[in-house]
Amino acid sequence: MPWCLIDGKNVEFSDGATIIEAAGSAGIFIPHFCYHPGLGAPAQCRMCVVEVEGRTKLQTACSTPACEGMIVKTGSERVKQVQKSTMEFLLINHPLDCAICDKSGECMLQDNSYHYGDATMRTVEERRTYADLEMGPVIKKNMNRCIHCTRCIRFGEKVAGIAEMAAFGRGGSTEIATLDGAELKTPYAGNYSDICPTGALTLKDFRFKKRSWLLTKTAAVCEGCSRGCAIEVHHADGVVYRQVARENLRINRYWICDEGRFLYRYLGDPERVRQPLVSGNISDWVSAAGVAREMFNGGRVMVLAGEDLTLEEAKELLDFVRPAGAGIFRFGTPQVCAARDDGDEDMILRRKSKTSNLHGLQQLGISAFDGRPSGTVLVVRGGRAVIPDLGGCKVIGAGVFQGGETTDFEAVLPGRAFLEKGGSIVNCDGIEQRGVSVVPGPAEAKGLGDILRLLGRGGD
Amino acid sequence: MATRTRRVGPRKSLFHSIYIVDSFKGLWITMKYLLFRKKVTIRYPEERRQYSARFRGLHYIKTTNGVENCTACMLCPTVCPADCIHIEAGERADKEKYPVRFDIDIMRCCFCGMCEEACPKDAIKLSGVYDMSAAKRTVYDKEFLLVQRGNK
Ligand code: SF4
Ligand code: SF4
Ligand code: SF4
Ligand code: SF4
Ligand code: FES
Repeated sequence: MPWCLIDGKNVEFSDGATIIEAAGSAGIFIPHFCYHPGLGAPAQCRMCVVEVEGRTKLQTACSTPACEGMIVKTGSERVKQVQKSTMEFLLINHPLDCAICDKSGECMLQDNSYHYGDATMRTVEERRTYADLEMGPVIKKNMNRCIHCTRCIRFGEKVAGIAEMAAFGRGGSTEIATLDGAELKTPYAGNYSDICPTGALTLKDFRFKKRSWLLTKTAAVCEGCSRGCAIEVHHADGVVYRQVARENLRINRYWICDEGRFLYRYLGDPERVRQPLVSGNISDWVSAAGVAREMFNGGRVMVLAGEDLTLEEAKELLDFVRPAGAGIFRFGTPQVCAARDDGDEDMILRRKSKTSNLHGLQQLGISAFDGRPSGTVLVVRGGRAVIPDLGGCKVIGAGVFQGGETTDFEAVLPGRAFLEKGGSIVNCDGIEQRGVSVVPGPAEAKGLGDILRLLGRGGD
Repeated sequence: MATRTRRVGPRKSLFHSIYIVDSFKGLWITMKYLLFRKKVTIRYPEERRQYSARFRGLHYIKTTNGVENCTACMLCPTVCPADCIHIEAGERADKEKYPVRFDIDIMRCCFCGMCEEACPKDAIKLSGVYDMSAAKRTVYDKEFLLVQRGNK
């Protein structure tokens, strides 16, 4: 492997790596704005300059390939001076309204200014302002904060496959906007907020809900479809405030779709069934479990397992159901009955199966529901699988349901959602991922194991 | 073994052991303060003491032209060691971000003044008001904090 010397450290890099990548692999951070590993490096912001021995001018680390034997200095006096000037230049027109900006606390401009900028400003001129244009339901735009890094433009072109943003005007009055002021069309629009290094593009959904430094960040897996993208759940006091993309080069790289991003909403939906129900009325665990147990043990039973259950839960369910001699089938997305029906929905991430664990349940040998329910039906579900038509059967629900779905259920035993329990799911490429329990969930909800024990035994 | 008591120091006469002289000495000090010195107490609550401008009493939210200075940046709840400030942020036509709710659970507050120090908008201030005893637990809301200006 070729090597180079960065800040006196011997760094090995693979062919074609840039200085910023080589430095990153050795744990040396070079401040940057326009470079993003998933979007390339147009070398526009000049924040990433480094000194390379033998070259008169400072080099942009994001676009200069590392070479064998190169000697790089990332913190020399010359570099520091240019970083200071770059920061000052970027802040000439920046409103510095961190107090009301949702990016505050996780803002690259803030961090780089703090670490590499000057504490004082020399400009006295009026700052440039723009009228804010609407950008559709996902993104809130505030062009005053933009530093023209063009990450958003490149995201549209290179990742979302739809060039909907462009830079208009020139020089200091450059404005980033959608073509003809149209609304954003891509179903991946939330990523604009993730990649924007400033608060120019923020999420409407998260607007003013919480300050970023008050959130606990937990790595998790998205259960929105069979892709199983890596996400980071941001939560505080047991409430999920948002989900953002987490890097996983094998699965989703740096992106997630909007459906997955906003999926957390069902956890806190006021319609969610949080207490045991008997014939649609709020009840307690003793009576609801009593009703369910009587139905379950009193005749022919069919068990329907949602494809949003984890592997652990599915195994538990199999161990419970098979000795009892009941039939067990899986259900999830209409028209996607098996792994072979599950294709790409677009060329980016989204899959046709809108449940997370179709592939896992199929591997466990659970066959798909054929649409002919019989006897008493026990529906076990994690909150996402679409409940099929159960035409006139008596139904017990166990797991996560919304109010409207359980109107003709005899009994509902509230369970935990994926972010509330954790567990393993298998994605469309057969990659098994384990999620952890991120938030505790409703006080009265129980894990599937406990629910099954209540169904099986008498009394307790 | 039996316990033995041993007297320590000189034996006192009856005159000495009823402390008659010492009692009068003590009384003299009391009289001296009562009759000849300047009084240190005031007739609270009719009379009020003027504290230093830096005194940290009851909070208030400063306004400019009738609009609250606070922009719900959440720095004060972040810095508050007693975790007693609770803010909900919102948006309205004349102000991009403002506190829809601003509650201070004054029973938890330790009057450290960190909130005042953290505030970038000169919004939350500690006034000179120091009498805030109440019969039940008090949570001061935004409406109260906006009109409560204390002696500043
Ligand atoms: S809106 Fe954000 S991502 Fe787009 S150019 Fe401006 S700063 Fe960069
Ligand atoms: S593509 Fe699928 S797994 Fe990825 S974020 Fe969207 S819904 Fe979630
Ligand atoms: S004075 Fe101290 S304890 Fe009281 S609200 Fe302010 S920061 Fe909190
Ligand atoms: S620090 Fe000041 S501006 Fe920020 S929330 Fe508190 S009172 Fe409001
Ligand atoms: S990150 Fe290298 S020039 Fe912007």
